[in-house]
Amino acid sequence: MRLFLAILIGKIIIKLTRFLKLGGGSAAPGLYALKIDPRLVEKLVKKIPQNIVITGTNGKTTTARMLAHLAKEAGLKVIRNHTGSNLERGIASVLITHYQLPTTNYQLGIWELDEAAFNTVVLKIKPDIIIFLNVSRDQLDRYGEVDKVVNDWCNTLSKIDPKTTILINADEPDFKKLKNYFPNIKAFGKKDLKNTKLNGLKGSEFRIQNSEFRINLPGIYNIYNALAAITCAKLLNLPVKNLTNFQPAFGRFEKLPFGYIFLIKNPTGATEVFKTIAPHIRPQDRLLLALNDNIADGTDVSWIWDADFEKLRTTNSEQRTICSGKRAYDLAVRLKYAGFDTKYIRVEPSLKKALREAREGLKGQLFILPTYTALLELQKILKSHYWEES
Amino acid sequence: MKLTIGYLYGDLMSIYGDTGNITALRKRAEWRGIEVKLKVKSLKSKIKKGECDLIFFGGGQDQQQSLVARDLESSGKGKIIKQEVERGVPLLAICGGYQLLGDYYQPHKGPKLAGVGLFPAYTIAGDKRMIGNIIINSQFGKLVGFENHSGKTYLKKEGQPLGKVIKGFGNNGQDRGEGCIYKNAIGCYMHGSLLPKNPALADWLLEKALNIKLKPLDDTLELEAHHAWRDI
Repeated sequence: MRLFLAILIGKIIIKLTRFLKLGGGSAAPGLYALKIDPRLVEKLVKKIPQNIVITGTNGKTTTARMLAHLAKEAGLKVIRNHTGSNLERGIASVLITHYQLPTTNYQLGIWELDEAAFNTVVLKIKPDIIIFLNVSRDQLDRYGEVDKVVNDWCNTLSKIDPKTTILINADEPDFKKLKNYFPNIKAFGKKDLKNTKLNGLKGSEFRIQNSEFRINLPGIYNIYNALAAITCAKLLNLPVKNLTNFQPAFGRFEKLPFGYIFLIKNPTGATEVFKTIAPHIRPQDRLLLALNDNIADGTDVSWIWDADFEKLRTTNSEQRTICSGKRAYDLAVRLKYAGFDTKYIRVEPSLKKALREAREGLKGQLFILPTYTALLELQKILKSHYWEES
Repeated sequence: MKLTIGYLYGDLMSIYGDTGNITALRKRAEWRGIEVKLKVKSLKSKIKKGECDLIFFGGGQDQQQSLVARDLESSGKGKIIKQEVERGVPLLAICGGYQLLGDYYQPHKGPKLAGVGLFPAYTIAGDKRMIGNIIINSQFGKLVGFENHSGKTYLKKEGQPLGKVIKGFGNNGQDRGEGCIYKNAIGCYMHGSLLPKNPALADWLLEKALNIKLKPLDDTLELEAHHAWRDI
């Protein structure tokens, strides 16, 4: 009865937020429904035959999308928290939205959980497989230090049903410890990859066992995401087809008519992006970087000093670069100390104005590197912009 | 002219972007034609008297921090650092580094971790994390940074704080003091990184290290970033 009421209230909030156009409705319905029935996630997830949980610092959304893609190609009906709302309330919202009486006919649940939410929510989801992607310094103000994140995961693992399959990245040194807390851990990593070929911004090719794969996402880090998704799909006995038609989530790697967007949000992820794109930046191209310090970005911007902006510097000292966002000047200082010529650095905190300026007289491509909330803002600007144009 | 910067436990104690302080010192020296040598001094290395013109010590994770605390004592590096500061070598220590250079650190359970005893201060583990932007008034003008610590540091009677908190928590969230200054050594909780956005402090450290007066640089961007923090 309580569950029924919680779902009902949740569904009403979803309808209301949509009707009143109050945000995306990705958290509020779940938040209130959980107040009515704190065991809602547990009760609803139980109705889905198989569940996967994905956690780690970088690549959660991309891996979840890839796995969903493979599962859908294999004909499964998939439910997942695709909004990137990876706290318990986000998951509750998804479950409520798609919950239909009398039964729900989803066959596979794919749930991405952030580093902290993982420890509580995974015990409610009781998944068949847990994937640990990687761990590195992320929002210290929210998650704490890397050692603490891994220690908490170890504690959680010791409470998990031993029948669960744990799948870890074998090449992540900080994951060695996890093995002491769970009897049987499977791993994916370099050992599984053959004939790896990076085709610049076009994507990559690689071979796993006897199958050739091609993904339209650049960078080694995306090969790891694909490898995690493919390994998991195989554990589920899905017929694994190619990922050629896979479309990434907005901003993880976005091809625009006038350039590209790459989300940057922590030192390791950002440095990987810099290494991936720097060789492809030509003199006529421009850079637009946007740094915010909202809660979803992390309120501490000192992480930019741990990211290797030196790797983003091209041989062309006259590369036009625009810094934007609430912390635009912090970014500009970081670039100056990374060896960028200040004559070619422009600072424009307003993202809308910065984008307009960056596109004015642009002869090459524009590389846009925003933090999370700057990406959301950018998405809005681009949407309305395209709407105006069409 | 040459400048040797000693980076204490740079491999173990460098989270929170504190490496930005090294970058700032290095660049601001190089832009003035000074040649910079960086020496990372860690668990296995020794530090000699007169070897470093300037010493930096960042923050680390708990496990690394206790490892470093033991090494400072057993290797004798703590004693030499103290002697160097006594004869005027400038030093900057942030967060964990600052705590380890005080008298002691008292964790929640277990015995006190002995410190180097350079700053007349001691730290007690707290329950609440003090997180957020911080602004203080100091002899270098306003300083801006970001703090994230649960340890509460208290200065002894003779201890002189680096500055007075305008916004944020500071040493302990109670007495409005932040950091400690002893001779040319500064300890504080300010990440950010601190020096890139507080160029006056960076230059003071360099001047003390080389015993010269430095030519000013064009700090337009640095000061804009400094002021942007003050507006928060």
